[in-house]
Amino acid sequence: MSENIYAVNPVEKDIEADTEERELANRIFSVESDDGLKPINAAENAEIWLNDGHGTDDLDGIDDDLETVNIGNFFHRVDSDQIIYQTKKKRLKLIGKYVMGDLLGEGAYGKVKEMLDSETLCRRAVKIFKEKKLRRIPNGEQNVQKEISLLRKLSHKNVIHLIDEFRDPEKQKLYLILEFCVGSLQGLLDSAPGKKLPAQQAHVYFGQLLDGLEYLHGARVVHKDIKPGNLLLTMEQVLKISDFGVAESIDFFAKDDTCYIGQGSPAFQPPEIANGADSFPGFKVDIWSCGVTLYNIMTGKYPFEGDNIYRLFENIGRGDFEIPDDIQDPLRDLLLGMLRKDPLERFSLQQIRQHPWLTRKPPPSEYTVRIPPLKNDELHNMTVLPYLIDHYYGPGTCYDEDGNVTYEEPEYFTERELNAAEESRKQLAEQFNGSSQANRSSNSKRGKKKRPISCMTVRTLPMCKPS
Amino acid sequence: MPLFGKSQKGPAEVVKALKEAVNALEKGDKKVEKAQEDVSKNLVLIKNMLYGTSESEPQTDIIVAQLAQELYNSNLLLLLIQNLNRIDFEGKKDVAQVFNNILRRQIGTRSPTVEYICTKPEILFTLMSGYEHQEIALNCGTMLRECARYEALAKIMLYSDDFYNFFRYVEVSTFDIASDAFSTFKELLTRHKILCAEFLEANYDKVFNYYQRLLNSENYVTRRQSLKLLGELLLDRHNFSVMTRYISNPENLKLMMNMLKERSRNIQFEAFHVFKVFVANPNKPKPILDILLRNQEKLVDFLMKFHTDRAEDEQFNDEKAYLIRQIKELKPLPGH
Repeated sequence: MSENIYAVNPVEKDIEADTEERELANRIFSVESDDGLKPINAAENAEIWLNDGHGTDDLDGIDDDLETVNIGNFFHRVDSDQIIYQTKKKRLKLIGKYVMGDLLGEGAYGKVKEMLDSETLCRRAVKIFKEKKLRRIPNGEQNVQKEISLLRKLSHKNVIHLIDEFRDPEKQKLYLILEFCVGSLQGLLDSAPGKKLPAQQAHVYFGQLLDGLEYLHGARVVHKDIKPGNLLLTMEQVLKISDFGVAESIDFFAKDDTCYIGQGSPAFQPPEIANGADSFPGFKVDIWSCGVTLYNIMTGKYPFEGDNIYRLFENIGRGDFEIPDDIQDPLRDLLLGMLRKDPLERFSLQQIRQHPWLTRKPPPSEYTVRIPPLKNDELHNMTVLPYLIDHYYGPGTCYDEDGNVTYEEPEYFTERELNAAEESRKQLAEQFNGSSQANRSSNSKRGKKKRPISCMTVRTLPMCKPS
Repeated sequence: MPLFGKSQKGPAEVVKALKEAVNALEKGDKKVEKAQEDVSKNLVLIKNMLYGTSESEPQTDIIVAQLAQELYNSNLLLLLIQNLNRIDFEGKKDVAQVFNNILRRQIGTRSPTVEYICTKPEILFTLMSGYEHQEIALNCGTMLRECARYEALAKIMLYSDDFYNFFRYVEVSTFDIASDAFSTFKELLTRHKILCAEFLEANYDKVFNYYQRLLNSENYVTRRQSLKLLGELLLDRHNFSVMTRYISNPENLKLMMNMLKERSRNIQFEAFHVFKVFVANPNKPKPILDILLRNQEKLVDFLMKFHTDRAEDEQFNDEKAYLIRQIKELKPLPGH
């Protein structure tokens, strides 16, 4: 950071910035975050927003627009100690009848953000697909279409509900409005001591998983990718099976549930897929993945591991695994039944339901793992609210604890202050359930994108940490 | 024992007192009012043991276990349900709450109350006949649905002759009772997938004979609800063999084709979802094929104009287009 920064549009940024960083503004030149990028006279009004929310969306358009823009407006030499950051303004953004909130998560296809339905005032989540990105993923568009048509048919308490969907042809984006969930089982595990859940909590979630799965199988849907990361939780602790990207619908008149393609997450695949069988009973694939999921949430480990996918599949294919000694019957017996190598011998949903581990009330646990906070907010307050306050009361408006409106001058930071704040925030996060960000960082690997912009090194200013 | 206030009665005493009070109520002699009061008072005592109050916690497991044992031994649960119509309004609700709480009780993997009721199925039958009496129907409904969550109890109800009374209850003129009966009926037929599938297969003729009456009911709500449930049952993969049997009967096809032409659009729409299964069937029996062929042109015409305002419902339009194509391409079996 000692040399001068060639401040550039923050076209590439680490995803971490999205999820945990406060909005920062680099007061050098200005970009209207919500209205796309416009060439701006730097002398007059110099600010740039490094957004967590809207920024990356809008900045995606940059490489197209760049040629038409006078590049000179974008480059300024600034010493690092001259950079001052400002908290980001929360500009209201409406998509149809939905008010946009903050980012909740990110996947290979796009982002997930919180939204508020302005008519019903229901909290929603929106999955935003960028068609440009989809086209780059093999079968991307077909898979999404398949997912949408599946989700439309499904309606069950423990299956994520598709509420609305629409396209924005101009921005080439596809919006899926879904039920609002606060986190995934994976996020919960990552923040839990020993990466496992107490028996009572696991029992509650697993029962709901079975309910949802029974419904799916009744509706002829093989999910094929059951894992903690795809099991979402609502504020009311209701589990929702989500992500039907690789799910398969069995033909209505098919005599059995034979499937031919397996494409879920490797560690959760059954031996028949690991061994490359031509065809296999579909519903038993989900049973296996549920078994691995149960193993995972009860032990914090995986029954099968491997340095690479070949080793992993070799191990799964052999079907030998160990259960830690502290796992006793009836759970031990249940796991063995769900993880039988031969799909025909593997437990059926009915057998699992009637298994003593499920029919018995689990012993009360000393603690419950709570859903890790989003941006330090343990209560998961609605992130749409600041945008609404900004819109109706003007910038700088805040609510104090009693709900009264107060006005605050925009805050300015220097980098040093930010670093200190970042450090203390990290410590805080670790205190709360251990490391809560692990889930997201795994996502971020996929989410990273390359933005070729000629002749300039693209600086990342995600956490505003010294490089 | 506390120094001040009422001395606390143990479970045995409360159960005994309640039983005497209910018996007095049943006899209906002069002291009815006093008995009524005693019943209510003791029911509240039992309820507070199970649920606690704003001031006190629920009783310990040992006391609750004693209470449950006393209830089984004294046969009080059955007695309470048999006399439910004689108990006052609040008391009826307390009975339901006590019953449901005791029912959910677990020891390890066992549910002792479920086991007890299995040996005393009169409890279930009395509850089911509760739908005959307006003033207790809804209380019985909440208890029945709690029972239906347990496979063993659902099985007893499904396989009993009394189950067929539901076809009458769901049609009674009091709307809230009919709705409540329907939700219990639906719970019984859908909750435990394998049990339900086996039941429907084993009793196919009888059940669908009765079911036909619901579909032909004068009552719009009954017709619509039962048609919707029929769709759900047939489309659930657990009921595969029931579905194949249903869609090979030409009478059922005729019924659905008539329902497609019903005045109510909602009924038309529900009927569409059953009708499509007949057409999509790759192995249509000859009688089905004959009906479809005879009406080939009319059906295509009809479907072209069917619910054209559902433009935004892609799935429906895809299915409709598929059906039209299928019907257009229908050909008589070779040899005709």
